[in-house]
Order: sequence, then C-alpha cells, then structure tokens
Amino acid sequence: MHPDHTGGGTTVHPQDSTQGSGVAQPGSGISRRRLLAMSAAGVASPLVADMSAIRLLRSPALAAELRKQERRVILLWLAGGASQFETWDPKPGVKTGGPFRAIPTDVPGIHISELLPGLAQRMRHTAVIRSLNTKIADHGTAAELMECGRRNDPSVRFPDIGAIVARELGRLESTVPDYVSLYTSTEGRRKGTSGFLGARYSPMFLSESMTPPNILRLENLTDVDHHDRAALRDALARRFTAESRSLAVDSHLSAYQRVQGMMASADLFDIGREPESVRARYGSTQFGEQCLIARRLVEAGVPFVKVARAWWDSHGQNFETHQELCADLDHCMSALLDDLRARGLLEHTLVITLGEFGRTPGINASLGRDHFASAWSCSLSGAGVRGGVAYGKTDKEGHTVVEGEASAGDLFATILASLGIDPEHEYMLGSRPVPLADFGSAPISEVLA
Amino acid sequence: MRPTCRLACRVVLLVGLGPATASLPAGAAEWLPAATDLPRAIDHAVGQHLEKAGITAAPAADWPTLLRRTALDLAGRIPTLAEYEWLESLPEAERRLAMVDHLMALVDFDLHLRNGLDELLLPNHPHNGEFRDYLLWAVQSRRPWDQMFRDLMAARPSEGPEKGAVHFVRSRVRDVDELTNDTAILLFGVNVSCAKCHDHPLVDQWQQQHFYGMQAFFSRTFMTRQNVVTERPFGQVTFKTTAGEDKTASLTFLNGVTIEDRSPTFTEEERKRLEEQLRKMEQSDKVGYVIFPDFSPRRELVEAALKDTEQRFFPRNIVNRIWQRLMGVALVDPPDQLHAGNPPSHPELMDWLTRDLVDHRYDLRRLVRGIVLSDAYARSSRWTSADTPPPPSSYALASTRPLTPRQMATSLLVASRGTVMDVAKAAEPGGAWSRQRLDLENQAGGWVREFEYPAEGFQVAVDEALFMSNNERVQNDLLRDSGDSLVGRLKASATDDALVRHVWRSVLTRDPSADEAAAATEWLARHPDDRLGSIRSLAWALIAGPEARFAR
Amino acid sequence: MQQSEPSAGRTPETVKVVTTHPLPAIPLCIAPADSPGVAFLGMSDFAVHRIDLAADKPEAKPIGEARHGSYVTGIVRAGGTLISGGYDGALIWWDAAAGSVQRRIEGAHAKWIRRLALSPDGSRVASVADDMRTKLWDVATGQCVAEWGDYDAKTPHGYPSMLYTVTFSPDGRFLATGSKTGLILVREAGSGSIAARLEAPVMYTWDPKARNHSIGGIRSLAFSSDATLLAVGGMGKVGNIDHLEGASRIELFEWQAQSRRAEIEDTKYKGLVEALRFGPGDGWLVAAGGDNGGFVSVYAATDGRLLAQEKVGNHVHDLALAADGASLVAVGHHQISAVNL
Repeated sequence: MHPDHTGGGTTVHPQDSTQGSGVAQPGSGISRRRLLAMSAAGVASPLVADMSAIRLLRSPALAAELRKQERRVILLWLAGGASQFETWDPKPGVKTGGPFRAIPTDVPGIHISELLPGLAQRMRHTAVIRSLNTKIADHGTAAELMECGRRNDPSVRFPDIGAIVARELGRLESTVPDYVSLYTSTEGRRKGTSGFLGARYSPMFLSESMTPPNILRLENLTDVDHHDRAALRDALARRFTAESRSLAVDSHLSAYQRVQGMMASADLFDIGREPESVRARYGSTQFGEQCLIARRLVEAGVPFVKVARAWWDSHGQNFETHQELCADLDHCMSALLDDLRARGLLEHTLVITLGEFGRTPGINASLGRDHFASAWSCSLSGAGVRGGVAYGKTDKEGHTVVEGEASAGDLFATILASLGIDPEHEYMLGSRPVPLADFGSAPISEVLA
Repeated sequence: MRPTCRLACRVVLLVGLGPATASLPAGAAEWLPAATDLPRAIDHAVGQHLEKAGITAAPAADWPTLLRRTALDLAGRIPTLAEYEWLESLPEAERRLAMVDHLMALVDFDLHLRNGLDELLLPNHPHNGEFRDYLLWAVQSRRPWDQMFRDLMAARPSEGPEKGAVHFVRSRVRDVDELTNDTAILLFGVNVSCAKCHDHPLVDQWQQQHFYGMQAFFSRTFMTRQNVVTERPFGQVTFKTTAGEDKTASLTFLNGVTIEDRSPTFTEEERKRLEEQLRKMEQSDKVGYVIFPDFSPRRELVEAALKDTEQRFFPRNIVNRIWQRLMGVALVDPPDQLHAGNPPSHPELMDWLTRDLVDHRYDLRRLVRGIVLSDAYARSSRWTSADTPPPPSSYALASTRPLTPRQMATSLLVASRGTVMDVAKAAEPGGAWSRQRLDLENQAGGWVREFEYPAEGFQVAVDEALFMSNNERVQNDLLRDSGDSLVGRLKASATDDALVRHVWRSVLTRDPSADEAAAATEWLARHPDDRLGSIRSLAWALIAGPEARFAR
Repeated sequence: MQQSEPSAGRTPETVKVVTTHPLPAIPLCIAPADSPGVAFLGMSDFAVHRIDLAADKPEAKPIGEARHGSYVTGIVRAGGTLISGGYDGALIWWDAAAGSVQRRIEGAHAKWIRRLALSPDGSRVASVADDMRTKLWDVATGQCVAEWGDYDAKTPHGYPSMLYTVTFSPDGRFLATGSKTGLILVREAGSGSIAARLEAPVMYTWDPKARNHSIGGIRSLAFSSDATLLAVGGMGKVGNIDHLEGASRIELFEWQAQSRRAEIEDTKYKGLVEALRFGPGDGWLVAAGGDNGGFVSVYAATDGRLLAQEKVGNHVHDLALAADGASLVAVGHHQISAVNL
C-alpha cells in the first residue's frame, strides 16, 4: 500500500494529513490522559510519505491560487439527452428544425431556441458549444463517457468530473461534502463515481429524499453519547492506524473524522431555511428546489454539485416534452444564474448543462427525436468562461459538425481549464499515468475567459 | 502534441524498458525441480530476491493475526470465536496446517473463491444470480480453471449446471469492443485496447492486428431477441491501418498464432437465406429456432489460448490474479500488462507457478493452498525498523488489505451475531455450519453495498463512516441485544474482564492489550445506569474501527 | 375521394387503405376542396399545400409563396377561402385558387395555434392555442369577435399546459375545446357561456417518479350530428412516457347529462387519437392516430364496440371524411392515404 513516487504526476491517494490533529474530546468518563497515553505508542507518523502533501508542495502557487479563487461547479445534468435543436442550436425553417423559432439573445448574433427566453437574456454569461461529436448513442455507455470524459476500461475505473473537481478543488480540511449528486427520477438514475480516486471523493448521493442518508443522529443516542462513542472509537483505533503505515487505513480515520462535520451540514439541504422570496424565484418544481439546494451548497463551499434533471428521452412527442422540460430548465437555471450573480458567486461558479447526448435531426413518426451523439450541444456559464460565445458549428440541417468538432475529452479539458485545473496533469495509478483529461484531448480556448 | 492513445500505451515508460524477461518454462524447470512443493518454491524465490536486494524480511505474524488473515482469505470472513479457541488449544507447531486444512474444507472456502471469481469476471456489472450459481457449482465440483474458461466462452447454451456461465459473454454482447477488451484483460492479463487505433508504440508484441485479431473471435457473437447468445456463420472484421490501408483481420491470438477460418462457404442464395434467418432471430421474439454454426470462433479462442505453451497468457493471468488477491501486490503489476516490457517482480516464480498450475490440471485450490502455506504469506505486516520499509513487491512484509464488501459484511455478521460453530463438525456437507454459513452469505448480500470495493488507491468513504455511525440497521441489527447476539452475550458476561476479552476476540480475533483493556473497563464503568448503552458503544467502537475493516 | 349520396344507415364493415403517397414534409391538418380527390394540407415545411389524389402521380405543392413561421397545424376552407393557423401564432386567409394571401394576422395567439374549426355556416373560424385562449374570428372581416380563457396556463405540476383541439357542433350552437390535462369545455358559441365542463383525466399521464414530465392530452373532439354526443380522443395511461405506448383512447359523452356513455381503449393500435368524426346518421364514429404507426378505426357510437380497423402506414395527424361516410383521406407522417370504409 505504499505508493511509489514516480515524479511526474500525483500519486493517487490523496489523503489528508490529519494524524495528530484534533483528538476528539470525550464528553465525560474516559480520561483525556488515557487517550493520550494510548496514542503515544512511540510510533513515528506514517504520514511523512503522504503524497498529497508532496503534491501540494510541488506547486504551492497553483494550489494557493486555486483555493483563493474558490471555484465551484454546478452541473445540470440533462439526463436522457436534450435536443440541441430545441435548446442551443436551433435550425428553424429546415426540414430537421422542428416547429420552434430561434430568438435573439442579449449577445448580438447569437440565437437560441425560443423555449429558452430567460437564458437568452443571460447569454452574456454563457458559452455554448455546438460541435460535440461523442459518437456513442446508448444511454449507459454515453452517460459514462460524458461523466468521465472517456470510455471505461475494465482495468481502470475512471473518476467522473465531480470526483476530479472534488479532488482538485476540495479543501482537505473541509467539513462539508465536496461532491454532492442529486438524482431523484428513477429513469437513468446514476450516482456518479470517484473511480480510482477512491471513496474519499465519491459523491454524497441524494435520490428520493433531499436529506442525505445517514446524516442525522439516531434518536436513541444522545448527542453526548454520539460524541463519546466516536472518541472511544478514535482512541481504540489509534494503535492500529499508527502501526499500519497505510494510506488506505489513514482514509478510515479521516472518513470518521468527517462524520461530525457532515452531520452539521444537514441544514444545507433544507431549503425551508431560505426566505420565501428566494424560494419563489426558483419555483416549486423539483428541479427548481434542487437548483436552490445546489446554490446553498456552493455558497457553503461545496466544490461540485450535480443536479440531474430527467428525463429528456423524447422518442415520442419531442416538442411537447421540450416545452415542459425547457420551461423548467429555462426558469430554474435563469433563477440560479441570477442568484449566483447577486451573491457574487457566479464568477466563482461554473454552471454546466450537459447530458449523455443530443437528439436526431430526423423527426420520427411519433414526432419524436431519437438518440444522437454526432453533432450536439452543451453550455458553460460563469466562472472561467468567456460568456456570449457560440463555439462550433453544425451543418444546415444539423447532421454533422462542420466547425470546431469537440470530443468528450475536449469538453472535459475545457471544463477543467475553466476551473484553473491543468487538464494534462497526470494521476499516477500505480505505475500508470492517467491524465485528468483523456489522451489526445485539448481545451477549447475560444470559450475560456 | 499529446499521444492520442488510451492508458496502456504509456505504462512501460514508467516501469522501465528493462531487458525483455519473458522467460520460458524451460528456465523454470532448471531453477527448481518441478516436484518441489509450492510453499517451498515461493519462499525460495522470494528469499532469493530479498537476499539479492539485501532486505531482511519482517518476522512471522503472531498466530491470531495469521488466523484472521487466513480466514479472511480462505473463508471470506473473520474467524468465529470457536475457531479461535480451538486453534488456541492446539500445539503451536500444528496450528497453521490445521487452520488451513480446516478452512479449506468448509463451504466458506467455496463461497469465497466463487465471490473472488465473480468479482474478477464481472467487475462493474450488476450482481447476476445465475452466474454466481454457476461459479459456485464449478468451485464445488472442483472444475478446473481451463474447463471454466471453456464454459465462459461456450458457443452453445447449456441446460446443465454450467448454463449460467453464458453471462460472461452475454453481459457484454452489445459491445464487441468491451467483449474483446474484457476477455483480453480479465482472462489473459493483456490490455490491447490501445492497439485498436495503432500499433503499440512501445510494446512490440502488440500490434493493431492483435486487437482486431482478438476482436475477430467475438465479432460474430450476437444475442437473439429471445436472449440466446450465438454466433453468425460468417462475417469478418475489417479495419483501417494507421497508413489508411483497409485490412481484414484473421482470427489471431495474442501470441500471433492465426487460426484458419473453417466456416463453410455459402452460395449467394444460401447466404441470403441465412441473413434473413439471422435477422429474424435478432428481431423477433417468436422465432422457433436458433442457428449455432459448427465453426465457432469463440471456441477457437479457447483452443488457441490453451495451446499457447510459450507465453501462457491464460494460466499466467490467473496465477497473477490469485497471487495479487492473497499477497496484496501482483507479480506482474498492473495485472493487465502481461508483456515483455513489464516483467514480473519474480520471473522464475511466475513461470514456476504457471507450470505447476498447468501440470496440476489448472487446480486453483492447489495454488491458493500453496500460497497461504508459504512463509512469505505469513509475515507480519508491521515494520518496526526505523529504516524505510521495503517495496511491497519484495513481499518482505505482509500488506494491510481492505476487506472486500463481502468479507466486511460477512465478518460484521459473524462477529455481531455471536456466531456459534462446532469446529469438529463444521465441514460436514449440508451440516449445521454449512446451512448457517449459506444463510450468512445471503444476509451479507444486504450489506455489501455499504462498502466500497477495494481497488488501486482504495479509501474508506465518508458515506461508510456515516452509515456505521448513524444507520439504524447498525444499531438495531449489529448491536441488538437479544440473547444469541454479541451484545446479548456481552451483557451476560460474568466480569468486565471477560466481557472485554470476549468482544476483542469476537471482533478483532485477539486479546486486548493492557491499556486497551483498561480503557474499555473504564468506559464500562462510566455510566453504570446505562450499562447496555455502554456495552453497545464499546462493541460499536470496535466494529467501526479500522482493525475490523482491514486484514493485516 | 369519391362523392356519393349520403347513406345514413350504412355502417362500415371494413377499413381498407386504397392508396398511400409519400409527402416531402409532415402534414398536420387537412381541409378537403370541392373537387373530388383534392385537398389542402397544412405541413411541417411552414406551407399550405394542395394535392390532387386523382392525378397520376399525386404531388403536394405549396399553394402560394407565402409561408407561416412554423408548422401549419390548423386549416379550414370556407368556400374559396382557406384559413390556416400555425405554431407561429399567426392566422392566414388565402385565396384557395390563386394561392394569394388575403389577410395575415400575426400574433393571433401568443403561443402555438393547435387547431382551427369552421362553424357550419362558414361565417366563423375558431382557434385554440397554447396561450390557453379560444378565439372566434369573423371569416369575412378577420375580426376577432370573441375570446375566452377559462383554462389554467399551467398543469397542476407547474408546467405549461396546452389547448390542443376545438370543434363546432353541426348545428353551430356549441363549441368544444380540450386541453392537455383532460379538461373539456363546451360553450354556447354565441354567448361563450360554458354549457358543460367535462373531465377526461386518463388522457393526461403525469410521471412524477421515473421521468418527471408528462405526455398525452385531449387531441380530438367530435359532436354527433344532433349534438347530443361528444367524442373525446387521446391516449390512455402511459407506462414509459418516452414513447406513445398508451392505448389509443376515446371517451364518449352524453355531454348535456354529464354522463360518459363509453370508454374505448385499444391496445392493438396504440397511441394518440388525433382525429375523430361521426359517420352520417351518428351510428358510428371513425378515429385515426397512432404511435409510430398509424391506424383508422371505426366504432359503434351506441356502445363503443369496435366495428373495423386497419393499420395506415405512419402516425396519422388528421383526416377528412367524405360526406357519405364511405371514404376518408388520412394524413400521416410524410404520407397521405386514401381509405375506403
């Protein structure tokens, strides 16, 4: 379990050096002297070789800069695949264009679908990428591709964008969760994965309930008992942790040390604590409420929040479906952008709309559109993004990308670059280098601030 | 410009391009007589390397530590209190062999080996009951690994006990790249995926032809609308070389050996008729037939892999995987990079174990038993010297390994249920222990999702800590105080000393140290009015502790 | 289309597709011309087309240069005048023969116009749109002579609602409209006062759990000739709302008594019932629609019994029934079919 330091990259095992800090104070009973005596086993701290410490030392300026900027991400995951025609890349008047009009935005020359009137008035904060060609058009594999920025491999479990951002932007000492994933609908429900970055960065996942699982203390245990029991656990754990010299074992310690902080963050999920006027702006839909939770979370320092809005898979009645879902997206995302901006958070927060793919130019007999990954769109707003840009181009009827083709890896590199994270930085997975963005990808500089 | 390639390509840059040490079985024969018993061969090889590197190995682990480690590795759970006490009663010199023989005779061994193979063969796939049933049947009937390989690749469905094996192919049938890659990685230890786009820049062995040659074994595989996996009677893989040339891939195994396509040639008319039948099989759920061609590329793959007596990808891979599981670090690391540019840490040993496995009819039990009886396996994991610890690949000290979700779940249940076992009768087929253990196996299924599957860079999730801290199942099930449970038994202990010893032995397979015992006793005296609460908290502090979460 | 004497007593025993012709775009509505076999189509290429099915190679051609700004979803003919409405919210009056525009009202509705209906005397055209308004226009002057709301702009789940369809009773006294959430309002066409309020909630599927949106709505309405019966078409409850996989559904109301005479669900031919007409004599009614595939079905008006049905290529959006009830023209996805009953 001892990582080899291979120089070039970062060894995966980003454990926080927590040893020796914050011995939990027992409330009563077992003495502090006893606890200290047990910890003074005379074993040298195994964390001298903590790779994350080395990594931070490697580039203190960069680390400090990132922390200072306090960048965060809200990913609005349009699960099932939203239509680019009915959102960011309208083609009114052509055979494939569908019935909706394109409307002007607050940025001259850029038109988007009339279904997004609110976002059209906020285009100056947003860069649209209209030239994604990600090739894979089945839900599961495509979702994995767009979450992780590359195809999976049975020998390596890749982390998704949330885990990478949590890892790169999260504060090790943070008591709030650093990756929260909300996905309430059952269709296509995906939790997200931290892959080889390890469970320290796996998402806090909320599905049916907007109270995170296991975050509240059981009623039959008092607060004091809960604390004391944890202190006893810590004390009895100390010898094993010290002797084992294993980063995996250390992660056990830090996981338990985060319990109290996580429990204290339960309030972040309670939108009842927001003024009625703020709640009204987000509206009463589930997506609106979850966007508000996302804002509360990033405001509290959570670096990555994913809000899934399912389910856009409009094989039948594409236009009716988009009338509903785009109205929801337009209203809630507009409220979110305004709220972030009013709080001075938009310049720190990247808001992404993305799904697993777009939808076919062809309109089927059910007036639906089917899965399509060859020429579709996504959007980036806020932090690190050059707003008011429409990057890339599809052909007249939207069948192919004709300008600025971007892969999932390119989009990943762009997202990372907009956050100030070097997409070429490599994690070392044993002896295997894994760049943050896939081999061969590059950021789209045109959409970066 | 960054290389446009996936992972595998650059690995060798870091492990270094040493001399190609793809040693041959002949070398192994000279190194130690084939008749040498497995543990001795292992210790000989590991010892030689330690000596050469000037490393002194850690001493042997104490017997309770070794019991816990071995039980987790062989039985997939911590030892029961009865096993602990039984072993304690034996003379020191007999304990090790008795322990291994006992554990390997239990149903536990079969279940745990089955679970390990399931985790190897269907990683990242949902739990598949039929597949697991097949694996258990295969393990229990001592089916050799090469035969299991035939089952996994079988070209015809079976109604026999091997029928669940089809899920290896079936779960990947919609994506021929995945089927090709996964087979190469999981069964041959070779990640050829980057050779899809171009010849491997650094591994001469792997060329585009290899990827497509491997893919050709699977490209005819498909599933009918009625969910039957079969193969087309024709069809070829074509690909574009980096030079832009269109090529047709022949059936080519990783060692470069090409298999002749012996499919019959069809007239245009026959072909048309077949195409129509195939189309119906794919699209209709009312077709009353399935075509199984006589010539099966998947079956050819099995033959090609088993005939490969030079590079031996198939047996080397499973040796490497099982070694990794028991020793923490693979002989060839990473285990999907079995190629000349990435030699084993102990090349002679790898060859020797491979030859031994093939010579003994691919008997995985023999391999497992050999490894756990070696001294290398039995070392302490503690490094007390002030010097830098030796590299894990030297096997100079044991690794501290996180439990798999199943080991963790089953161990929690074994500890908290106050599990009773009659050691002398535990191995009886269908006996009380077997029934109890199968029940535990089923119950463990309800807990496994709370724990992360260990992989490179494993960490414990805060979700797990929250679960253990606040979930009512932990409180109401693991810490329930009914008579037969751990907490119930602790409550009934005559003295605090006995209570403390009982909980330590039940959860951690050892006696408490003096200061641990003192701390625990002090804890129990804390709230005399809430003795049950104190006992529960003490038990919780141990089951939620790191020592219960890891094997060392 | 063959014209023959009305035969009130005749009930279709079969449905037979005689011919099907491909179309370059999606026809969403149809208005028959006076000449046999000739019809006007509102299409997805924003144009109003004319087609002559009696021609050797029937071909749909735009009647003029003018275009709507979106799909053309409603079309009626009053003598030599055609009136079309579209998702652009505009109404256009055309000279049917010359193809010239006589009048164009932009912003006739604030949102998509879904359907038009002509009063039996040809003096009024009614329009419904997603602004949830029903408007009555003077055919001669283009004046909006009446306008009614009475529908909620949003569904109970907070999303934009839709007002899909409108029809006049054959005596011109009543006007019925149907919405996404299954509310039917029957008004006095003159005063606008609501004569009946009927609910067909099964037509609206809200999926709160799996997909978090909705599908369905009332897509077609038809009065019997004596105006006592009102047929309401749509789709039954849907499991997977990604697809039009619900049973095609018709509810038959004795609307003045607020009573439902029959509920018809057909799982053989699934999807939306997009068009409904009573046959001469009111003994039967014909329905058309579909999922991906289209259908034409004939049911007994007395009890909803299925009398005859047939698959008709792709999803059918609208139909024109001959006065004698012996044939119809169905317009579906990229196609037009002549059908004998």
